[in-house]
Amino acid sequence: MLWVEKYRPSKFLEIVGQEETVQKVREFIGNFNKLPKAKKAILLAGPPGTGKTTIAYVAAKENDLELFELNASDLRNKNKLDEVLKPSMNQQSFFNKGKLILIDEVDGISAVDRGGLTELLRLIKTTNYPVILTANKIWDKKFNELRKVCEFVELKELNYKEIKDTLIQILKKEGLFINIDIISSIAAKAKGDLRAAINDLQTIAKVEEINHEELSERNKEESIFQILKTIFKDKPREELLNIFDFTSEPLERIFLWIEENIPEEYKEEELARAIEMLSKADIFRGRIYKQQYWRFLVYENIFLSYGISASKRQPKQGFTKYKNPMRVLKMWMANQKAEKKKKIAEKYAQYVHIGVKRALREFPIIKEIIKNNEKIQEELRLDEDEIAYLMEEK
Amino acid sequence: MAVSEIWTEKYRPSTFEEVVGQEEVVKRVKSLTDSLNIPHLLFAGPAGTGKSTMALIIVKTLYGDKWRENYLELNASDERGINIVREKVKNFARTKSIGEVSFKVIFLDEADALTPEAQQALRRTMENYSSTCRFILSCNYSSKIIDPIQSRCAIFRFKLLEKKDIEKYLMKIAEAENLTISPEAIDEIYEGSEGDCRRATNILQATASISQNITPELVRTIISNAKPKDIRVVLDYALAGDFREAKDKLLDIMLKESISGQDVIKAIQKEIWNLPVEPEIKVKLTEKTGEIEFRIVEGSDPFIQLEALLASFVLAGLGKE
Repeated sequence: MLWVEKYRPSKFLEIVGQEETVQKVREFIGNFNKLPKAKKAILLAGPPGTGKTTIAYVAAKENDLELFELNASDLRNKNKLDEVLKPSMNQQSFFNKGKLILIDEVDGISAVDRGGLTELLRLIKTTNYPVILTANKIWDKKFNELRKVCEFVELKELNYKEIKDTLIQILKKEGLFINIDIISSIAAKAKGDLRAAINDLQTIAKVEEINHEELSERNKEESIFQILKTIFKDKPREELLNIFDFTSEPLERIFLWIEENIPEEYKEEELARAIEMLSKADIFRGRIYKQQYWRFLVYENIFLSYGISASKRQPKQGFTKYKNPMRVLKMWMANQKAEKKKKIAEKYAQYVHIGVKRALREFPIIKEIIKNNEKIQEELRLDEDEIAYLMEEK
Repeated sequence: MAVSEIWTEKYRPSTFEEVVGQEEVVKRVKSLTDSLNIPHLLFAGPAGTGKSTMALIIVKTLYGDKWRENYLELNASDERGINIVREKVKNFARTKSIGEVSFKVIFLDEADALTPEAQQALRRTMENYSSTCRFILSCNYSSKIIDPIQSRCAIFRFKLLEKKDIEKYLMKIAEAENLTISPEAIDEIYEGSEGDCRRATNILQATASISQNITPELVRTIISNAKPKDIRVVLDYALAGDFREAKDKLLDIMLKESISGQDVIKAIQKEIWNLPVEPEIKVKLTEKTGEIEFRIVEGSDPFIQLEALLASFVLAGLGKE
């Protein structure tokens, strides 16, 4: 189902960004046939996707009216018009329901189609039911007459934020996650047209559903798991030499995965042999970096794949739950902390006339002093981040 | 300026009379300072014996309230290279001193962190600005300062503070801060301080931040928590065959203490001699350690190489190395 239909508002309150128009439409329907000079039709003009048709639908629903939709060609179809305009009395009493006539996109009535326009004007004069007309552009001369007989409301373009918020609401209801940058760019591209934005969102969501971030993460891991399984469990085979060619995972990541999981598969001598291979692979990696001699990559690859595979005595059975490598993340977090520690030590060192290195050496005790004394934190002008660091350090 | 809440500052002696210990040094420095003219000075002695404090007392005596304008404090181990030191000295020495004393004072802490070449450069700087500046250099060992600098300075040797001096100082703080402290607790602090008065004061304040009642147990807890984690526990796990635990502990220690792979190798190499293994195993492990140190230089990821070393320890523990 199209989301533009699925999420079309059914209450005035749900309509985004057109409060003024909504208010005028309510008054128009409320006053219809009650005030002597009240007009019989209201013309909603505005760019596409701003909610004109929706407002008509909601107006019918909220006022418990039956909606009759007419298009430009219907206007020359006498029978159809009569059917709409002259309802049988018993039908009215039977359902006890009034009618609301919607004529969508009146600017679609071509200039040649004089008859259509005349019929429209006649309809508005004779109708017993309120008529809502919608149009994109209404400033053509041919509509002069029409503008006179209608109450006229111009809808504003929806702004970027209104569109973006609506898209986010829809995604929430659909239980989908799409990168906020994508949502923003859809909203910006829509230029005020909410319908276009919702359609774009649905199209992209379809693609994203397959390409969903979490899913793709899982696929990646599956291919890593496959590599680990082949290396750790199977007999060493020559095909292992190309095993890293069939994954989009960078070799650095694979290296870490293997490192993390060697102890999960191998023990004692096998473990020592496998780690020796890892060590050799790393030596060649270091040589590649330092000498920019990429031919060494061959050796790194062989040690990492075949070398580690050949570290076991015989193929392994059973299922191993491979662990996600955490070392790099831990190192990154430790570096972040070390930065804060150093900043605190610098502030402290200068304040008490000692070197930063000495402050760092004495830090465990200094930390205890600063941590428990807000006045000192103020004295040293520690910022919130630095204080937070002290508080979470044990 | 408000009184600092940091006790090493709050209770730092600001007159010669308040200084504990170092009677000889105090007497001579005081008479020099009273003459309102001092030569370049070299303060040699262990950390926390009053070298920086003495420099501060000198400038406060010389300049009174204006001491900040006439005093530059540098730390040789923090400044990146002698050129930075020279640049800072140049900027500071460009303007004349404020007040009746005709020179400014530059305190260069940890001067023995400078290489002999850098010290030569420093010597020239001292000469260039000798008409407007006096240098006070501080170091742990005067032997690490080149002779030409030593010969241009009046040398003062600061002794390690005696227990009674530190005790006196701590008692003064305890009284002012309304702390209850037992003689045993003082003993513990003194032990932990290793004669470093700054460290003793910090231990006291860290303990007092937990309780006004300073007990020996509390002091011991503070001190032992502050000790750097030992690499030995990593080796013990490896020898017991628990590779994963050993490597996790190793990573923890490296990250927590921010130490490099090379530092770890050094520590392991020393620790091998304390391990409960046969002499021939010690030799084999040392050989492996040397090989790994070499690989760390060659490779790209020191931790992988250390893991390889731990794997050797696991084998040694199994009697298979």
